[in-house]
Amino acid sequence: MLYYFYDGSFDGLLTAIYQAYYRGETPSRIVAAGDFQESLLAEKVYIRTETEQSQRVYVSIQTKISRQALRNVFYVYLSELPDAGTWIYEYLRLGWKIGKEFDRMLSDGRVLRVHKISQRVNGERHRILGLIRFRCLEGNIYYAPISPQYNIVGLVIPHFLDRFPGQNWIIHDVNRKIGVFYNGETWSLGDMDLENEIELSNGEKLYQSLWKEYFKSIAIKDRVNPKLQKRNLPVRYWRFLIEKGQ
Amino acid sequence: MELLDKLKILADAAKYDVSCSSSGSNKKNKKDGLGNSCYSGICHSWADDGRCISLLKILFTNHCIYDCTYCINRVSNAVPRATFTPDELVDITINFYKRNYIEGLFLSSAVLKNPNYTMELMLEAVRKLREQENFNGYIHLKAIPGADNYLIERAGKYVDRMSVNIEFPSERSLKLLAPQKERETIIRPMSFISSKIIEGIEDKRKYKKAFDFVPAGQTTQLIVGATPDNDANILRLSEALYKRFSLKRVYYSAYVPVSSHPNLPSISAPPLVREHRLYQADWLLRFYGFNAHELLNETHQNFDIDLDPKCDWALRNIHLFPVEVNYADYELLLRIPGVGVKSARRIIASRRFGSLDYADLNKLGVVLKRARYFITCKGRYYGGINMDVHSIKEQLLINAKNSRSLDSGEQVSLFSLYPDLLSTGDKLSSITGEL
Repeated sequence: MLYYFYDGSFDGLLTAIYQAYYRGETPSRIVAAGDFQESLLAEKVYIRTETEQSQRVYVSIQTKISRQALRNVFYVYLSELPDAGTWIYEYLRLGWKIGKEFDRMLSDGRVLRVHKISQRVNGERHRILGLIRFRCLEGNIYYAPISPQYNIVGLVIPHFLDRFPGQNWIIHDVNRKIGVFYNGETWSLGDMDLENEIELSNGEKLYQSLWKEYFKSIAIKDRVNPKLQKRNLPVRYWRFLIEKGQ
Repeated sequence: MELLDKLKILADAAKYDVSCSSSGSNKKNKKDGLGNSCYSGICHSWADDGRCISLLKILFTNHCIYDCTYCINRVSNAVPRATFTPDELVDITINFYKRNYIEGLFLSSAVLKNPNYTMELMLEAVRKLREQENFNGYIHLKAIPGADNYLIERAGKYVDRMSVNIEFPSERSLKLLAPQKERETIIRPMSFISSKIIEGIEDKRKYKKAFDFVPAGQTTQLIVGATPDNDANILRLSEALYKRFSLKRVYYSAYVPVSSHPNLPSISAPPLVREHRLYQADWLLRFYGFNAHELLNETHQNFDIDLDPKCDWALRNIHLFPVEVNYADYELLLRIPGVGVKSARRIIASRRFGSLDYADLNKLGVVLKRARYFITCKGRYYGGINMDVHSIKEQLLINAKNSRSLDSGEQVSLFSLYPDLLSTGDKLSSITGEL
């Protein structure tokens, strides 16, 4: 058994896939170094990230398979599941063998698995578009903490750039300690940790209470259905919702 | 009056309007503007009744000159009343939007003084949002029946979606419960909007800068269970509305008893299952190629409460089954109970690479619990029972019952005010309206 380890970055994963082809090996697993699980039988290879190599794999997926496949691969990578690297590798091998039509082979486990996870990541991206709640802070900065299951904070940037171009906003993935910052002109994605308490602006409490009141009034009492509510809005998202948490 | 109290009264009065979707419009933001819209629509929260909150759904006023028996805002009802000013409404909408609470505004209203006066106030709020605040989010506006066409036309240039609620499926029911309204005043604005939409599309072809008139189309709503109309009438009406006015959606609203009046039925809980069956049938009309008369006709006027409309139809047309999933075309696949639009497409796509096994169907999202009795796979029938109507029906009912009892096992909850009649999957789709 041959295990490849990469540094956890997307470039690292693609480098590992490049190396597998370059060395003529077929690793049975490709794992991020952080998800290390001790195994006595495995032969371990540590892959050093080379952007030149990862770039070649990137372009090759796009041109030899399809943009759709590239997107699937990236989304599965963002799921951060321990086996994501291995599944991507197996998916791509099939893709390079068969070509872009292979995405229709849904009865093949390798394809179906990647599609399902990619869909789940995309689903959470879409869900978070609605569930992000900005709080207006002192200095007119709109700040939204989130704690998504998958690493989707980067995927929501285009949506909010188009929607709030004239507003300063921050979207903060509290668990992964990363954030998107936008100052009305440019944006950046980087590490973020809040040490101090945030300070709300003057009007903020008013609109929060209006929103809570609205949320209460819009429900039809004769149809109350907490189970359906939780199904649509899982409890893990409640923490940062004005109308539900705090 | 405090803004908070107004919001409370006017949101509470708006809640019986079902529609909350923000779909169908794909506007990009403008320079220095605020907001855009997303074609698929985005849900922002889910209220305690499990319905999604996408728009700020609110009445402009609940002062009403009419006295419609079924409506909580009728003039003879003793409820607190309030009216927004256009500026208050604009302020709430913009500030909710900036905090990403909502996708936009759904503005409806009771009729204050007269239809034109009300429509002008609503128009003013919408105009301010678009022109003064440069707001490009979603706006759904109710057209007030009886308002002049020129007001509707002006409003249509600002908003994404318009709707007029028919409420009652027949003229007779309308006479009974809303004697001051006439069917004609409801249908007229609908047909006006629909003709304007067509005109707008043609203009757009000729001139690049032409206005988008109501780009997300128009919708309507029907109340279910307040009148003796049967399901067949309702479904035929929906079909006609889709065909004649190319409506985007017809919404069905289970009647929630809000008053006791000799003309109203006395029911203890809203007829949710019936509402759900109508939604299922509505989907069959729009996405599955069914006609209303196939589902319901003179001899079969109401849906089976225990079976979904597609299973019901399949059992009445058992001579068309079993269908071989490896050969059937798309239209036929869609008619199999347990196969939906997504799974039918997946079947078509993946069987080009080799024939499908029975086990593959599960992976592709086919609900075998229902589908197994109606298909063959590589020539083999997997139903496990005789293929006759009675045995299949019996089996389907047992399956449905089992999933219900599993549900209610978990639902020992003080908050549950109405009996759990539907299986979870059913309830979910009935409300989200997702495919």
